[in-house]
Amino acid sequence: MASMRDIKQRINATDKTSQITKAMHMVSASKLRKAERSIYAFRPLAKRLSKVLSNVLSTDSELTHPMLEARDIHKTAYIIISSDRGLAGPYNNNTFKAFQKHIDTAHEGNDEFVIIALGFKAFNFAKRNGYTLMNEDVIQVRDDIQFVDFQPISDRFIKAYLSGEVDKIDVFYNEYINTLTQNVNHQTLVPLESNPFVDTSGKGATDTTEEGFKTMYVYEPSPSNVLYQLMPMYVVNTLYGMILESKASEHASRMTAMKSATDNAKDLIETLQLKYNRARQNAITIELTDIIGGSEAVN
Amino acid sequence: MNLVVFTPEGELYNETLDYIVVSSKNNGEFAILDNHAPLISTIDVGYVKMVKDGDVVYSVIINGALENRDSTVNIIAQEAHVGLNKDSAMDHLNTVRKERLEENRRRTKDFLKAEQKLKENIKKAQASKQ
Repeated sequence: MASMRDIKQRINATDKTSQITKAMHMVSASKLRKAERSIYAFRPLAKRLSKVLSNVLSTDSELTHPMLEARDIHKTAYIIISSDRGLAGPYNNNTFKAFQKHIDTAHEGNDEFVIIALGFKAFNFAKRNGYTLMNEDVIQVRDDIQFVDFQPISDRFIKAYLSGEVDKIDVFYNEYINTLTQNVNHQTLVPLESNPFVDTSGKGATDTTEEGFKTMYVYEPSPSNVLYQLMPMYVVNTLYGMILESKASEHASRMTAMKSATDNAKDLIETLQLKYNRARQNAITIELTDIIGGSEAVN
Repeated sequence: MNLVVFTPEGELYNETLDYIVVSSKNNGEFAILDNHAPLISTIDVGYVKMVKDGDVVYSVIINGALENRDSTVNIIAQEAHVGLNKDSAMDHLNTVRKERLEENRRRTKDFLKAEQKLKENIKKAQASKQ
């Protein structure tokens, strides 16, 4: 049986660890609220932009863009969105597992795809497994991520897509549902599978005047020029939205993981406390028997 | 007329104005007054001059779209900054971007260093053997 001192030491160590996990839980909780707020703040922009694109595309049914047309796939680029740091429960691993499962079935060799890793963990994962990376440097997924942080790589993959270097760009990210549920999502970024801008139902997609007529916009300089400017922007915006979702999922996942770690530590301390009490009682009993034995001997 | 500037962080600017002048690298310069015909345009890098009662405020835009309808102008921008002078506002935006990239590089370096140290310490402490 471990000595009293050993047990006390373990209790203290566990207690200290639980204090850290508790602090991390609270930090993640507040970061999660912040991440949720940024998702909400981003929504009006995303909505407006897709409406503008609907308007542009509705002017002429012939109007199109390479990003709206699927082509034969020779090479695929996968964007994997992960976190920079660990201790986030199964957050990163789930994404990587889903990705590996997908490439096992969809590809025959590693030369059929390239990886764009967002976050330290994804970067290390790709390196470890010997996948080809499109980004030479790590791209951090900061808590306060901005467009400028991943602009070099977004410019690069858009160029690669338009020049035909890659024919499809998929994203693996975590979809934030609530604090307890986050799902790994696999989505195609470009080409847009079903054109989300073309108004098939005739409802809501394009702007209308008060009398219910379609608003006739003037395009400066021309609809196709505007479309070519806005399509890449739309794609980058969509990716940004996914990163925000992932960020919220990361904090939620870390929060849950840290909560259970704190709970586990509490349970462990309780068991250790019992052991400690038993050891103490044992020591007292031994002392008593010694005293009684001693006094018996004197008598 | 009303002008609203949307950025990823939310609404940056929402004011009633007399008129605006939009200037961009790709599309040149044009003004929008009250009751202008519905218009959609883009701004790659440029600024919007916002005028009200003779007072002028500039908003610099990087990667944006502009849409005018019913005397309301919506500007969607990936990055934007409002300032009293277009050059200083642009400078500010550029400095912020530059500093941000620099900070990112520094963070990456620090992070890799810290990770290396952690690995060494784990090895030293022989944590896996206990």
